[in-house]
Amino acid sequence: MLSRTAEYLYWISRYMERAETNARLLDVGYRMSLFPNPNGYNNEWESVLAAAGAIQGYKNKYNIIEQKKVEDYLFFDEDNPSSVFNCILNARSNALVVRTSFTPESWLAINKTYQEILKLKNNNFNASDLPNLTEWTIEQVNLFRGSLSSLLRNDGYNFLYLGLFVERADNSARLLDVKYFVLLPKPQYIGGNIDNMQWSILLRSLSSFRAFRWAYDGDVTSTKIADFLVLNSDCPRSLSFCIQNIVKHLTNLTCSPEKVNKIYNTLKDLNIKIQEEKIESIVDFGLHEFVTQFINKISSVDSDIQKEFFN
Amino acid sequence: MFNEMYQSESLIRNHYNNINEWLEKMTAKVINEKNAEAETHFRNIGITFSTNSETARERIIPFDLIPRIFTFSEWSKLEKGVIQRAKALNAFLADIYNQGEIIKANIIPKELIFKKKSYEVSMFGFTPPRSIYSPIVGIDLVRTNHNEYFVLEDNCRTPSGVSYMLENREIMMRMFPDLFHTNRVTPIDDYPTRLLQTLMSLAPIKCNTSEPVCVLLTPGPLNSAYYEHSFLSDQMGIEMVESTDLFVEGEFLYMKTVDGPKKVDVVYRRIDDDFLDPLCFNPNSVIGIPGIMDVYRTGGVNICSAPGAGIADDKAIYIYVPEMIKFYLGEQPILENVQTWSCDKDDELNYVLDNLSDLVVKEVDGSGGYGMLIGPKSSKSSIEEFRRKLSANPRGYIAQPLLDLSFSPTLIKNQVEGRRVDLRPFCLMGENAQLSSGGLTRVAMNEGSFVVNSSQGGGVKDTWVLAE
Repeated sequence: MLSRTAEYLYWISRYMERAETNARLLDVGYRMSLFPNPNGYNNEWESVLAAAGAIQGYKNKYNIIEQKKVEDYLFFDEDNPSSVFNCILNARSNALVVRTSFTPESWLAINKTYQEILKLKNNNFNASDLPNLTEWTIEQVNLFRGSLSSLLRNDGYNFLYLGLFVERADNSARLLDVKYFVLLPKPQYIGGNIDNMQWSILLRSLSSFRAFRWAYDGDVTSTKIADFLVLNSDCPRSLSFCIQNIVKHLTNLTCSPEKVNKIYNTLKDLNIKIQEEKIESIVDFGLHEFVTQFINKISSVDSDIQKEFFN
Repeated sequence: MFNEMYQSESLIRNHYNNINEWLEKMTAKVINEKNAEAETHFRNIGITFSTNSETARERIIPFDLIPRIFTFSEWSKLEKGVIQRAKALNAFLADIYNQGEIIKANIIPKELIFKKKSYEVSMFGFTPPRSIYSPIVGIDLVRTNHNEYFVLEDNCRTPSGVSYMLENREIMMRMFPDLFHTNRVTPIDDYPTRLLQTLMSLAPIKCNTSEPVCVLLTPGPLNSAYYEHSFLSDQMGIEMVESTDLFVEGEFLYMKTVDGPKKVDVVYRRIDDDFLDPLCFNPNSVIGIPGIMDVYRTGGVNICSAPGAGIADDKAIYIYVPEMIKFYLGEQPILENVQTWSCDKDDELNYVLDNLSDLVVKEVDGSGGYGMLIGPKSSKSSIEEFRRKLSANPRGYIAQPLLDLSFSPTLIKNQVEGRRVDLRPFCLMGENAQLSSGGLTRVAMNEGSFVVNSSQGGGVKDTWVLAE
């Protein structure tokens, strides 16, 4: 496989994953805007922007944080490199180049998404259309993921999934990083409305709201949520699940075993640690510190993959 | 005028009877639905042109639902004629880059060849595998009568459009399966396989495997034929590479893969000569593969089409193709050339200037239907304006009579109307010489228009060759 092809495949699934994350974040913000807030004014949009890594870009463009503007910035704005629109545009231009390396269905899934978002963009949307836009985005991304199931299980397949899980690991961890404080045990807040609301933000943005209730019995506690999102390898967005899948698709690569080994060695410790660790000791150590380390590790794995395989 | 479907006003040609019945049964509603379906299909698969327009971003070529049909015997004649021409053009290239017999025989003046930019000096004395310079020849034909075809143009470099030929058939089979039950249409979907076989049969001398590695070299996504590049490489199962994916080391050409370098034997290039090798052609080019020409000339890789193959489709050389056929093959040309006046000769220039209102004048290096004058269709002032341009640079122009291109039934606002068409079939030259069983029919969608180019309101049709 051409190095450039591997690179483009990797980025296609990163962009598609990112499109979904942003759409989910928007949905969370939208939901929160419907609830009363003790401060009288709801500032969830700011943390939505922060979790999307778009706060700086947004502030360069707008002075005030306002629902319609945030929605537009995160969904359609071509000035925002991570907007859903740009993610789909980029995935599509990469797919155009490597359409020979995946199935016609995968190409169609991406290209139809692109055709439709062009139309959506040209129509003026109302702030209240957002739930439909989110739902649409998730559907499109699922269509793309579904189409991957008929791919040959070759290196191209593994590069696609490496991209997906590197992106997801990064997205999940950044979200946790923005919101880590709501998971810290502070007696005065526990059980309060704010906590419940904050926790539900986290779970919803990681598409795990209902899954959580199925996975854990008894009361909802911050420790259980932290366990679910960090260590529970049944949860497809937990850090643990992401890293396991990165390892899996990395070691499934048949090209260049020495490069695979090199990258695997840098990941090995974290992978073992995350399987054996207890959530209590992570919280003791500092959830924030743990997540920061995790983000740094994923980013160095990402640059190793790019350096070793694509250059 | 010749109409492909109607023998006379009331009489349908036999091979169009089925289509006529089918057309009569189609309601406006069905036509609208099918047109929309075709458009959606073309957009979804991405068979589009890039445009600069803000709203459209990409454009598709209008597709007409009514196929253009050839009988087996009509096609047989075309087939022989096109293959004959493709053989002669390749023989011509082999000759002018070696002995130059046709020059010594005073058939073609040498300055017409050696002074051309498309004549590639670095090819002199080198013969590519099987002496094939142009493995894919696209011949542009028009029909003027039942048994009368003219060649408008030869394309020896990298003729495009074959993806339309294949996709037009796909969409027709999908939308109107019944038509293919009632008509015996020769399939064309083996074209990519045959193309790959052709490329593999042209492996360079240093290639010692029975399965040479072929790649398609594209300039990249901004090229207007990019869809075709990715379509063909996908259908052939070969890598589509850009020049940055390739590099020369020692005697061979390699592509960069995740496993490390992989040797490449045959490059089906869809980029111009100028961008092949900055060491050999355009030193200012930032794209290209330094050293590929050395590898090529020493038999480490084959480049299809060969650098310098473009001289054979030069509009000034075109005039001599019938002579080539007689000279190299000892045969009479099966397909006719259009009578052509080259304006760099004084007497011919004078004739052209005296008869501008009856002639079509084209730029020697022009394409896409731009920069030409269609005398009978032009106003007096634009003829006078063209006269000045022509007098200032007579070498840059040739002139031809306006041919009465055949009409093909075409759906215009849900009504069947006659529109002019041309045809580009694709000839493969490798171990065997063979013609696609069909081609690209382009249609001038505007009433009265003679210009079939997609850039100027042209559309496309599926082209059928009926089985015997």
